[in-house]
Amino acid sequence: MNYRLKKKLKRYASLAVLWLVVGIVVFPIIYMVVLAGSYSNSIRTGTEFSTVSLSRYIKNFIDMQKNVDFMNYFKNSVIVISSTTIISLVLSILSGYSLARFKFPGSNGFGLTMLATQLIPPTLILIPMYLVFITIQRTFGVQVIDTYMGLIIPYVAIFTPMSIWVIRGFFANLPVELEEAARIDGCSRFQAFRLIMLPLAVPGIIATGIFIFLTAWDELMLASILTTSPRVQTIPVGIRLFIGRIQNRFDLTMMAALVTTIPVAILFFALQKYFVQGMTAGAVKG
Amino acid sequence: MKVNNIFKKYRFAYLLILPSIISLVAIQVIPSIQGLYISMLRLNQFTFKDFLRAPFVGLKNYYTILFDPNSMIRVGLLGALRNSAIFTVVVISGTIVVGMGLAMVLNQKFKGRGVARTLLLLPWIVPTYIVGLLASFMYGYDGIINRILFNTLHLLPHPIYWKVGPMTLLSIILITIWRFFPMTMLMYLAALQGISKDYYEAAEIDGASGFQKFRYITLPFLKPVTAMMVLYGMIQHIYSFNIAAMMFGMGSGYPGKWGDLLMTNLMRNSFSLWQYGPGGAASVVLMVMVLALVGMWLKIFKDAITAE
Repeated sequence: MNYRLKKKLKRYASLAVLWLVVGIVVFPIIYMVVLAGSYSNSIRTGTEFSTVSLSRYIKNFIDMQKNVDFMNYFKNSVIVISSTTIISLVLSILSGYSLARFKFPGSNGFGLTMLATQLIPPTLILIPMYLVFITIQRTFGVQVIDTYMGLIIPYVAIFTPMSIWVIRGFFANLPVELEEAARIDGCSRFQAFRLIMLPLAVPGIIATGIFIFLTAWDELMLASILTTSPRVQTIPVGIRLFIGRIQNRFDLTMMAALVTTIPVAILFFALQKYFVQGMTAGAVKG
Repeated sequence: MKVNNIFKKYRFAYLLILPSIISLVAIQVIPSIQGLYISMLRLNQFTFKDFLRAPFVGLKNYYTILFDPNSMIRVGLLGALRNSAIFTVVVISGTIVVGMGLAMVLNQKFKGRGVARTLLLLPWIVPTYIVGLLASFMYGYDGIINRILFNTLHLLPHPIYWKVGPMTLLSIILITIWRFFPMTMLMYLAALQGISKDYYEAAEIDGASGFQKFRYITLPFLKPVTAMMVLYGMIQHIYSFNIAAMMFGMGSGYPGKWGDLLMTNLMRNSFSLWQYGPGGAASVVLMVMVLALVGMWLKIFKDAITAE
């Protein structure tokens, strides 16, 4: 009886601690949501929780648009990141399948080189890339810096290696017999890949796609150097305008932050099953 | 002839990886080699215009950042290196301890487990530059953290300057752990669910204590995940940029040496102060250091990875 009571108490205590931790963890996000719908003045005086209201959210959103054309940066981010995700996904599906199915001379080297690129400091690539882009512009008159292409190409190259490894794991788990059967029935190699393997790998492809999207949506360093005008600048670069230009409008800055987080949240909750599955599968298989 | 045969046999496989190879070579391999070359140039605002003809200075940039006692760049880099080393070690251990602890609680059955798990994953969905922005509000002198700790809970004798002085690094560390523990937690949760209950039952019959069960059953089973999390953490946090950059402004406005990490320092040296040469040299040295760390990681976790 005593032993049972002790165990029960211990259990309740640990649950209480857990919910306390959950509260602390969630608090910054709640705070961000509250700030986005509050008055700038009440944030300064510490009464932000009492002034938050629905009409204030709408007002802040409109004010944000008036002060800084935030939706422009949002649009640029969507264009750059979705192009990156699609191109990078195609590349990594092809390479991931190739690595999972065939053991060819150089396959190990290719795989290791891709992993090694993850160890290169971003600044080591960024400095030459910036200089080369500027040189191209000067010698050939082709603008690379400050275009969508000038951001999408480096993004694709940088985010592909990791996704190849994630997607390779998914293909490696699919039964090879299905593909062989299709080949016997007269499919070409590419047909067998496209008609049999690709549909089976859809959960893995979705997981990898979210993975690329989230990483690219979060990219600040390259974007801050390779874009210079609002025409193509993405959210992380544009959001700094709120700090410089309208220093005291905390509410508008947090409204922009909220708008930036919402697409990620939607994607995460809609596809959580695939995402979680993909992340854990990738890690446990190394 | 033989090479030709190999290529014919695996033509399909090579065709599939060709696009990735092209992008890999164009954006990773060639720029890296160029970066090596740039690290040996005197490249600044005067020679920048035509960087191919910038004066070649050999290993002078390396000497500047490694040994030159009068170099301001070197002093700044050493400070950033120290900050980054503390930052990386504390953040990795922090995410592992918090992630493992919460995963073990979530591995038990209780009411609201799904809700708790989803709520604990939430920091993951906030982009890191937003985290930096949010943190810079919350850590302000009259920000919400000081208000809660000082005004509401009376835990502090006076409000703390989180963003200036010695507390700066701690403030970045705390918010970084907040942002990155959900992933660690999820990985440990997945690994914990793979441990058979039989081990614990057998240990209980033998009279093992709770701690012993953790030490001799749970921990060894989690070692592969720990190995992955350490590697992932090293790459992620040594190159950490977004949170610190958003908290203290990009490139400039850093509160002295406090809170300056390797990446923010290198970005400032290269793109704001026009020190591309020393910036490149420091990047190369940094890469060598990371390679050495990965080598050490391989040695320490060898059995855990090969056991997989």
